Amino acid sequence: MSADELCYAGIRELGALFRRRELSPVDYATDQLRRIETLDKDLNAYVTVTAERALADARAAEAALKRGDAGPLTGIPIAYKDLYATKGIRTTAGSALLADWVPDFDCTCVARLQQAGMVMLGKLITHEFAFGIQFPGHRFPPARNPWNLDHIPGGSSSGSGAALAAGMTVGSLGSDTGGSIRGPAAFCGIAGLKPTYGRVSRAGVVTLSWTLDHTGPMARSAEDCAFMLQALAGHDPADPASAREPVPDYLATLEGGVKGLRVGVVRDYFFDQVEPETVAAFERALAELGRLGATVRDVTIPSIHATPSFMVIMLTEAFAYHERDLRTKPELYGDVLREKLMAGGLFRADEYVQAQRLRAQIREDTARVLQSVDVLVTPTALGPAPAFKVVLDPDFPFAKSNMGPFNITGLPTLAVPTGFSTTGLPLSLQISGRPFDEATVLRAGHAYQRETDWHRRRPPVRA
Amino acid sequence: MPEMPPDVTLDEVKDRARLAGLAIPSNRLALVRGFLVNALRPIRALDSRTIRTVEPAVHFDAKGGSGS
Repeated sequence: MSADELCYAGIRELGALFRRRELSPVDYATDQLRRIETLDKDLNAYVTVTAERALADARAAEAALKRGDAGPLTGIPIAYKDLYATKGIRTTAGSALLADWVPDFDCTCVARLQQAGMVMLGKLITHEFAFGIQFPGHRFPPARNPWNLDHIPGGSSSGSGAALAAGMTVGSLGSDTGGSIRGPAAFCGIAGLKPTYGRVSRAGVVTLSWTLDHTGPMARSAEDCAFMLQALAGHDPADPASAREPVPDYLATLEGGVKGLRVGVVRDYFFDQVEPETVAAFERALAELGRLGATVRDVTIPSIHATPSFMVIMLTEAFAYHERDLRTKPELYGDVLREKLMAGGLFRADEYVQAQRLRAQIREDTARVLQSVDVLVTPTALGPAPAFKVVLDPDFPFAKSNMGPFNITGLPTLAVPTGFSTTGLPLSLQISGRPFDEATVLRAGHAYQRETDWHRRRPPVRA
Repeated sequence: MPEMPPDVTLDEVKDRARLAGLAIPSNRLALVRGFLVNALRPIRALDSRTIRTVEPAVHFDAKGGSGS
């Protein structure tokens, strides 16, 4: 296997190589660091590279392997979105406000993955406070899309998407309030899982919106997401929203296929404004699921058009979180983001309550649909990644979101690539399941990825 | 009481900002208005008497825990 192929290997493959002593975690980490040094000058995915820490983690992994004390994630490189608090390592949230914050604790997710033996390569750029892309002149430049440097990698987990697509890490964590795991996954041609609300701890992760924030794994395949979710999932008393639902063995059911799986397609709302190439790729993927034995039918969520009201909730909660700093240190917020956050201070209390009531209605309607089908499948984004020159217009509006409905409902949702646009940019679909049924969502995504190679295509970057 | 207009106007954005004590630069008012228009459209179209009251709700359990 060439060095270039090796940097795109999956967790199962790498773990086997480590256990057979055919590859050393220290050598692999060294290669990953070298690749970051070469490629990240153009991609800007990393805010902080923790080379010494990576090599120390890799040596510890090697020792565990020698002792026969290795788990499936031992020695696997990981890089964290820079919203996740890391002990002794600055955690900037992509902001000037927190540019020098060095936490004295690891957040729960980081603690769990490090405990599982992962090798920390560093911290990845996020849109500022998981909300606003950095405009020119910002202290932290935005990440670029490895498929085309003139295009955004999506956000807010922008560095996570770019680093994975460029083979500069094997696993990553993102956060998702209105699509921030799935959007970068879609735009970068990788996999991203937003688990059920409450399934993975948010404790120690910088907040955007308490009732909409989710944390979860990003990787190059559904299978790798399953490996990481296994270590991440489970109750955490430090997160008030953390669920006590039992955690199943995600790998045990991953190979089960989709024969007999009932797939629902919501034609209403989710296809509004979607570009024809994205629709065509989606329909081909749907046909593939059908060929594999799934039964596919259209379903309707009556209240789905009320989705944009979720912005009332998100903006209001974000303003509540940021209000003191917005009023006292407005100059430390990025241009445009500052006003976006201030918009959250302009809603009335009754509007927030009504938005929550609409949210409850969407949740009920969606739950009813999921009594008759096992998963919902929809296009993740409206089209491929837009160019920077489009997004960096201060008046660029919020696009209609296909991802927001699953933050409102809290349902587990996995984005996987479905092909490419004529311009060579990745396209994606999302698979959503019942609450805490990540296993079915991952099984469906994995079944599709066993039969397709979109997730094995590589962007035009060379180390 | 008059009914709310279907969309938020620029003057309404300015009024809301004044009441909230927030200084929003004039060149960003249209952007902010866009957010409010988009987010509030479903709410302004809503007759709140027609949807079942399911939220907000607070739940308690016998062990003394509480959550919403």
